[in-house]
Amino acid sequence: MGEATYLAPDAKLPYCRGCGHASVVRQLSRALERLQFPPQSVILTTDIGCLGLADSLFPHLHTVHTTHGRSTAFAAGIALADSVLEPGGLKPVVLIGDGGAMIGLLHLVHAAQLNVDVTVLVHNNFLFGMTGGQHSALTPVGLVTATTPTGNWVPPLDLLALLRAAHAGFLARHFATDADLDARIAEAIAYPGFALIEILELCTAYGTRWNQLTGNALKEIVARQGYQLGRLEAEPERPSFRELYRRQVESLPKEQPAPAAPQALPPVTLARELRLVIAGSAGERVQSAAGLFCQAALVAGLYATLKTDNPVTQGTGFSLAEVCLSPEPIEYTGMEHPDAVIVVSADGSSELQANGTFARCQPGTLLLVDAELPDPPAAGCLWRLPLRKAATPKQAALAGVAAWLARESVLPGAIWEAGLMRLPSDRRQAALEAVRIGQQLATREGEGKW
Amino acid sequence: MVAQGALAAGCRFFAGYPITPASEIYEVMMRELPARGGLALSAPDEISSLCYCVGASLRGLKAMTATSGPGWALMVETVQYALMTETPVVIAMVQRLGPSTGGATQGAQGDVWLTEFSVSGGYSLPVFSPSNADECFDLTVHAFNWSERLRTPVVLLSDKEVGMTAEVVDEVNLATPQVIDRTPFVGTQPHVTYGFDKPEDVPAFAPVGGNLKVTATGSAHDQQGRLLKNSPEVLEVLAHLQQKIDAHAREMALVHADIDPGATSLLISYGITARAARQAARMLRHQGVRISFLQPLTLFPVPQEAIKAALAGVKTVLVAEENLRGQYRAVLAPRLEGRQVLGINKIGGLISPGEIIERVRGMEA
Repeated sequence: MGEATYLAPDAKLPYCRGCGHASVVRQLSRALERLQFPPQSVILTTDIGCLGLADSLFPHLHTVHTTHGRSTAFAAGIALADSVLEPGGLKPVVLIGDGGAMIGLLHLVHAAQLNVDVTVLVHNNFLFGMTGGQHSALTPVGLVTATTPTGNWVPPLDLLALLRAAHAGFLARHFATDADLDARIAEAIAYPGFALIEILELCTAYGTRWNQLTGNALKEIVARQGYQLGRLEAEPERPSFRELYRRQVESLPKEQPAPAAPQALPPVTLARELRLVIAGSAGERVQSAAGLFCQAALVAGLYATLKTDNPVTQGTGFSLAEVCLSPEPIEYTGMEHPDAVIVVSADGSSELQANGTFARCQPGTLLLVDAELPDPPAAGCLWRLPLRKAATPKQAALAGVAAWLARESVLPGAIWEAGLMRLPSDRRQAALEAVRIGQQLATREGEGKW
Repeated sequence: MVAQGALAAGCRFFAGYPITPASEIYEVMMRELPARGGLALSAPDEISSLCYCVGASLRGLKAMTATSGPGWALMVETVQYALMTETPVVIAMVQRLGPSTGGATQGAQGDVWLTEFSVSGGYSLPVFSPSNADECFDLTVHAFNWSERLRTPVVLLSDKEVGMTAEVVDEVNLATPQVIDRTPFVGTQPHVTYGFDKPEDVPAFAPVGGNLKVTATGSAHDQQGRLLKNSPEVLEVLAHLQQKIDAHAREMALVHADIDPGATSLLISYGITARAARQAARMLRHQGVRISFLQPLTLFPVPQEAIKAALAGVKTVLVAEENLRGQYRAVLAPRLEGRQVLGINKIGGLISPGEIIERVRGMEA
């Protein structure tokens, strides 16, 4: 396989005279030649900018020309997908500039963190060349550019130091003119994981036009910034993403036996839709009580919908559940006129006032309110039970639902059992107890047991 | 059910970022995909989510992400890239109340324009809009099918009320539409990445990393993927990107039509509000009002023929949707052949059957 397999032999490099990009392209070609990879296993992913013209120079490689700064993310996507395919082994090579490295910094950080098998060659010429020589986040202090006419005064980002913190296993810094650059690029591509080389070069269109740069300019910049050259010491080699993911999949628990399907009970007749609102406090199993109720309805052959709400901080404040129950498929799921409202805490009561539920109650609405709470500002039939005291705050909502069901005979008591039996054993007993208490409260109301 | 639909459609790659009200899809895919030989991944932002999906799709896997308005805002660059590079990808867009971070836990249908009109140059994105869990399943499979067939990004546009309401699904009777994969390149001709004979044809696909060289690019290109400026070959490809969608518009059209041939009013609604509208139409008929009902499941391309058929004998069209300016109504208006067009609009809560009935009856008075 000759070098022509990679860089076309008659390739006319479309770069300005003296531009480092030409050198990188030649060295990349030599690196691929060293590696002897089949051309179809290399995906050249290029960014916007002069360096993005490189894809047309490699006629036999797959090329993906992308949006600014995103090349690393697209290449990572290709490599990630490849890691679940057999035999895999694709080698995306990303060409970006200093501008692309900054706008796509998050992609570099994440690719390093994942250790996905992508090699990134950052062409750092300290400015945006294609758009007219504006400074970038990697421009050294003092450099004159189109946007820093008196010299750049913001310290440049040390890309390699940053990626080291993201656990990058292969990091190196070179001049575009380094004779051993091809060997380093080959080493990076062969590395089974994320590898990045920052290649320092000068933009002859802008960098050298506005600055008095000597032949040693790059060396001086490196010295001034305290940059280390060559391959940096990195943390010990760690597994590539492909390997990590394979291990992860292998460690998945073997398939659990599906929970036994609830035994279908004789269908329940429900003359019309029923709408129920349950309101309480976060952490007091309001929404899970509603979920159990819906499962029970499902067992009884009814249609059900369940919506929940809570404040942004999910562990504090109110907790709300809205349930529709119907013999027919349910269309509208709103709560214009609830049939029953169960309120088990002051948080819940405040929320129902705030969201307008109380205002929408009608004289026919059953308002089951915990005995400790003040009267809600709502029309309806008020029914007070000591839910929190009798059933504990954590089971008050479930007890409330059970009490309501016992009073209204919406669903036969047997369906609870079917629904509750699906709970994990550690929660089943408490739930059964809550239901029993709710049912007792409904029937012994007025007996003064609590 | 969106996640279940994606799995049924053969989705093997998912990248996501947490966002209410789309996080459930992300969580289910993270749980389900690894055991099925796929890969689900948390991305560091929505830009990366969609870039990863597009990369995976270029490699040959069916891919999806899920987001809401704020995440869509970040994805637009890559939506356009997918369109330009003819890369299949499905975006489940679960609307919430906007603008900006808006109301994370409130439903809305305010992103119809945002999704459809996101692409520079005005290119069409196919958009499907489910109103319930069954349709989420069904339309997700259709979204994948059309994305694969047309090699283009497709949006599944639901909202918080559809996405986060638990409801009963009859799995036994849930039919999975036939699953369609992208057409692979075969044949003796040299592979051309964006090759087509007629501009409405869809190029046959070859994955990057395969034996056929791929030249993918988001810049203006000819059929071979070469960057050229304003040449006739480039303009032909740019026209082709729209023509392939237009040519399949009729086939893509999915609606639920409940037509009363004697009705002079037609009620149109989609997504979550279609449920209230369907119920309102039923109740109005009980009250003796003659009214037709149409629910477009395909929002874009607009199901032109179904709408035209529903217009027979109709004097007034009412469009119910949960946004302020009547976004889909504005799209439909020029296609309603001079009928009176009224909007039923609201934000901050579901439009109820009662509100729709009141509007229809008010019109009669």
